[in-house]
Amino acid sequence: MELTVSMSPHIRGKNTIEAMMLTFIVGLAPTCLAGIYLFGMRALVIIALSVATAVGVESAIEWIANHRLTYRDLHATLTGLLVALILPPTVPWWIPVTGAGVAIILGKMVFGGLGTYPFNPPLVAWVVLKLSWAERMSLFFAPHTTTPVLTPLMAVKEDPALFYSYDLLPLLLGDQAGPIGGVCGLAVVIGGIFVLYRALIRWHIPVSFFAGVALFSLVLRSVNPDLYPPVSFQLISGGVLLGAFFLAPEPVTSPVTPKGMLLFGFLAGTLTMIIRMWGADPDGTFHAILIMNAATPLFNYLKPRAYGRSGHA
Amino acid sequence: MGLFSRTLTLPETLAATSLTLTEPPLPRRVILPLTQGIGEPARVCVAVGEAVKVGQLIGAADTEGALPLHATISGKVVAISEQLHYTGAKLPALIIEGDGADSRAESQGEQGEGEVLSADEMVARIRGAGLILKGLHPLPLAAELSALDEPTTHLALTGRRVVHRIDTLLIAALDPEPSLGVNRYLAGIHSEDLARGIAALKAITGAQETVFVVDRAQPPSPLIAEMLRADEQEATRVVSVHGRRFPVGLPIPLIKAALGREVPLPFGRPRDVGVALYDMETAVSVGRCVRSTIPPVATLITVGGGALSQGGIVSVRIGVEIGALIASLGGFAQSPAKVILGGPMTGVAQYDLTVPITKEITGLFALRADEAGRTTGYRQCINCGLCVKVCPVNLVPGVLSLYCARDRFALAERQGLLSCIECGCCDYVCPSRRPMVHFFRHAKHELLEAG
Repeated sequence: MELTVSMSPHIRGKNTIEAMMLTFIVGLAPTCLAGIYLFGMRALVIIALSVATAVGVESAIEWIANHRLTYRDLHATLTGLLVALILPPTVPWWIPVTGAGVAIILGKMVFGGLGTYPFNPPLVAWVVLKLSWAERMSLFFAPHTTTPVLTPLMAVKEDPALFYSYDLLPLLLGDQAGPIGGVCGLAVVIGGIFVLYRALIRWHIPVSFFAGVALFSLVLRSVNPDLYPPVSFQLISGGVLLGAFFLAPEPVTSPVTPKGMLLFGFLAGTLTMIIRMWGADPDGTFHAILIMNAATPLFNYLKPRAYGRSGHA
Repeated sequence: MGLFSRTLTLPETLAATSLTLTEPPLPRRVILPLTQGIGEPARVCVAVGEAVKVGQLIGAADTEGALPLHATISGKVVAISEQLHYTGAKLPALIIEGDGADSRAESQGEQGEGEVLSADEMVARIRGAGLILKGLHPLPLAAELSALDEPTTHLALTGRRVVHRIDTLLIAALDPEPSLGVNRYLAGIHSEDLARGIAALKAITGAQETVFVVDRAQPPSPLIAEMLRADEQEATRVVSVHGRRFPVGLPIPLIKAALGREVPLPFGRPRDVGVALYDMETAVSVGRCVRSTIPPVATLITVGGGALSQGGIVSVRIGVEIGALIASLGGFAQSPAKVILGGPMTGVAQYDLTVPITKEITGLFALRADEAGRTTGYRQCINCGLCVKVCPVNLVPGVLSLYCARDRFALAERQGLLSCIECGCCDYVCPSRRPMVHFFRHAKHELLEAG
């Protein structure tokens, strides 16, 4: 009889990294399907290239470094998927390939792989692509066409009064230009709620992210309602939904304490609005999250209340 | 674990559901370590080769920290030698080969009718009977009871107000882990000793109020209802908690759930918040030893796990080897991957089935490979925060585990490592399968060594 001896506990939950990543991937499925529906085969090719590159590059690095292969944990798949979803549907084939490669190499593997990197890998890729090929990364199609148009946020940046021309429902259903995963807000919300429900954690970040965006735009609206778009427009245009549900709560790069998560989300939302109003990037969500990632270790100092201080009741 | 819930629902298959009592046949041999619990060893007062009877004193307690030891079967002392203990240490122990007669020692008996004992006399009885306080730090019950008005280390160190007075006697009618069932079993059967024991504990601790903590899922116990009716001063009440969730039944979370009081950590004790916490088993044992001077020779444990053919509440003679006990209960139904003394969340894994049951043991579990958690191949912390959510004492276990894994023990201590109650919840939920409790115990040990 062979008996195992180890420290307690002797039983463990079913939760695994694989299951968590799979939950995120399933949560992104509606967004992927909406992107493919709106932008056609082009979107499918971008997604497939990005995922394949991410998994391939990660495995290659691990093989060269003689490390255990980790493609089974599905993190590379998720990273590839997110890289594709924040790209415009107009990009040539080598953009998702470069992006996924950068996300895995510069974003993840140089730091030691899953759990170690300080910045959200898909967003690292996005910044590198944006700096390297600014024009290609700012070219968007209207859904179901190959006509280049401005995204609502770009249009509003040029002429603030234009926000009157956008209705809430079409925006939510995906009748707008934008990145593959950033146009159909409804799909993102459905997937996001699924992830919140299944992952059992981190409602703090999406909720406080939305609160940050909403509060800031409410303040702006109270200053001059003609010049600043309404809260609903700010929430469902650009990358806010995708960012709040899938990028900001990325486990490795966001805080772990409840107070830290709330402040992290709120400040990321506020920063998004500041960049939108006064920055160079019409969207700002991705920049804001990346900047807040740098401050994550500080947010983790906001520890839960120490136990046993209330004393004798 | 739900979206907002901070406690765990453990696998149903390991929940103690069958609360029927089994009394296995007398063991042929018992091993009685001179040290029971974490106290000092008893002094041997029999010789090798001497015949002993059930209940005969064989190890005398000369100090407050030692527990007296009684023969639990009748027979002959065959050896006094070092034997493997469930903690992994080798401790001096008496070995008795039984004669199968189970004959009792004389000169022990029931308390006479109308005899009223003072609190000190009751503590003396408890000391004489060798009762232990089961739990993470199993101490002699008498030592614990007589030290109730001494300030604890925590309060002495921090200079905070010392609460001398116990105002609440908290009686747990549920078990530390959902897999254990002795206290729920005792809540469901009739025992005159319970009322007697509670009266004694109230007199000793000076508590004004008695609070029963019961499991919300358990049908209301007639025994407790009767005690509520019998109490004319209305100083008894019942609080129900989610007892099937973990770690609600462990002492520190239990005091929080039942009374809303937080025991100061680290080093704090229930008495620092005016609480004396005992379980049903302790109350019944106290009641019995107030009534009679016959020392207890058996203890109730919960037996379970998918590798065993029979589970439930088992009354075992102290000192029986776990291998012999399992054999007398029908043996293994399937090959076990882990044999645990204590509950599956906080117990101690065993590799040798000659280890004896000692006084502090609460359960015996034999887990199949599919029930036992994987212990190898843990990965990097991915910062998911689940451990933060489930930690009952508000730590950030993931970050602590990183410090401990890199030998940054002083840093971990500053972040509250010593407040950890080792419940294992963080370990249970970790998607990277990090052995958190292992890290924390190792770090605590290193800190202790360093002073």
